[in-house]
Amino acid sequence: MFRKTFLLTLLITLLLAGCGPDALSGAVPASAAITLTDGLGRSVILNEAAKRVVSLAPSNTEILFAVGAREQVIGRDEFSDYPAEAASIESVGGSMGEYSVEEIVALKPDLVLAAEINSPELVKQLEDLGLTVYYLANPSTLEELYVNLEIVAQLTGEDPTKLTDSLKARVDAVDEKIMPLSSRPSVFYEIDATDPSKPYTYGPGTFGDLLITRAGGFNIGGELTDPYPQISLEQIVVSNPSIIFLGDSMWGVTIESVVARPGWETIEAVKSSQIFPIDDNLISRPGPRLVDGLEQLAKLLHPGVFE
Amino acid sequence: MRKSFLLSLITLAIAFILSLAIGSVFISQKDLWDILRGIGDETFTFIIWQIRLPRTILVALTGAALSGSGAAYQGLFRNPLADPFLIGVASGAGLGAVIAMSIQWPYSFWGLMAIPMAAFITALLTVFIVYMIARVGKTIPTTNLILAGVAFSSFATSLTSFLMLRSTSEVRRALGWLLGGASQAGWNAILAILPYLVIGLGILLISGHALNLLQFGDDQAQQLGLNVTRIKTILLIAASLATAAAVAFSGIIGFIGLIVPHLMRLWFGADYRRLISLSIISGASALLISDVIARIVLAPQEIPVGIITALVGAPFFLWVLRRAKNQGYW
Repeated sequence: MFRKTFLLTLLITLLLAGCGPDALSGAVPASAAITLTDGLGRSVILNEAAKRVVSLAPSNTEILFAVGAREQVIGRDEFSDYPAEAASIESVGGSMGEYSVEEIVALKPDLVLAAEINSPELVKQLEDLGLTVYYLANPSTLEELYVNLEIVAQLTGEDPTKLTDSLKARVDAVDEKIMPLSSRPSVFYEIDATDPSKPYTYGPGTFGDLLITRAGGFNIGGELTDPYPQISLEQIVVSNPSIIFLGDSMWGVTIESVVARPGWETIEAVKSSQIFPIDDNLISRPGPRLVDGLEQLAKLLHPGVFE
Repeated sequence: MRKSFLLSLITLAIAFILSLAIGSVFISQKDLWDILRGIGDETFTFIIWQIRLPRTILVALTGAALSGSGAAYQGLFRNPLADPFLIGVASGAGLGAVIAMSIQWPYSFWGLMAIPMAAFITALLTVFIVYMIARVGKTIPTTNLILAGVAFSSFATSLTSFLMLRSTSEVRRALGWLLGGASQAGWNAILAILPYLVIGLGILLISGHALNLLQFGDDQAQQLGLNVTRIKTILLIAASLATAAAVAFSGIIGFIGLIVPHLMRLWFGADYRRLISLSIISGASALLISDVIARIVLAPQEIPVGIITALVGAPFFLWVLRRAKNQGYW
């Protein structure tokens, strides 16, 4: 047995010997450079504000446009569809996590803005190819969203104050109306109900959960453990939500089709016709439009205070 | 005999050049020629040497390893359905990779090596467990190996699926890996797997004669002077090493290891002294061509190459099989 353990250790050592850690050493920063630590704990150095940016996530594209850096965006991932003018920017792929590294290199960006949907392997590969990559971690609160906006603004040499001030004011306005209320209607948020006996919903720690709570609702998915769990119809019936949001309305799910589902007629929200389609991109993308999502949810949850 | 080697080497050369020439960024023949002479456009030169060449070499090595091991397994098990994943390398590697992905590693050299390392280790561990289960005294009955391999693979695969369900945020990454694709590896990956491929495939290359003897059955081969248990063990280790190293960085690429050896057998005969080397050469060509297709069908998007190998490979194989139907080939 010892010999076998030894052999295995030897094999692993050999596997590793092939790849030296030399590629990880960074460059020496120039003066007046922008130095920031990114979501992977990497120190990212830009000699000056980025002029040619490739965005690797829809949320990043939205943030870049919102902070006023639209002129600098020269490449985007396949799914960046907002604002509409982003569609005219060259795509570098991204379906199934496969980006065209060749296209990215050919665009000669001085900054690649990655997000949490990108793998660390991709970041490493781009870094090894000599590109400057900033990995923008997902915010876990709206307050962290403002920090992200400020980071992107700093990287692109823009001033985010006007944007963050207006977002903060809008969130404050919602908070002011919601805080005094004592009612917290229970919410079922449907992400996907291809199998209507166990649809996907937002679990704890997701933007969906965060926004529903902040908008004065009680997310029944927040009681589960996984971030994007499948909840059983039985559990939905027992929780008996008083309002249902259809995040999958963008995929063709209608109010009528929900009402027609067998077993759903006993749910309070179905009985009282409290089913609302919603643009899931406002809830799932960690960009400035989360605030739009918050406002929409709050208005649907507490229509009385938003007259 | 010379003709078969010449033919497969020419195919390999063509596939290699195609793989260098075709990518999501268009580089014309003239530009490519300039780059090879060292006078090309700077960006294009960079793309060719730093992105396409390492990818091409890794893909070729992976195809060679899978197909060479597949040929050896088919001979070892005397079973036309054998592929390099038969006794658990793929399911083991998949399990290791998904376990590694479910952990938040720090962004560092070791953190990034965690996934290929875990895949490599669990792949070898799986084969080792299956081997120990299948052993009866001093012999390793082939049927036991296959059954133990299939059963243990199913076990590992369901564990993998369960883990993927639990860590939803990593599903895309895991799926990408499980479907195979060498797009995100550079020169380091090649250096890391090369020793295993050289050792593993080297052993297979010199085992042609033993594999020929094994075709008579274990007892007869023993009587012909072959130490059956020892040669089986050696072949298993060699093929598993090569396969595990290949999947560690490239993910699980199915079908290549099954059909390329069959094609070689259909076209050039069942002599393992030739079959192994021809499978190695043509496995490289086949995976290179699949990878080129994966790059261009939806450019600039790329499809995991594991989808292409079966999607294009299966109809092609069926067509060849149909034409050779009456030759009593296996």
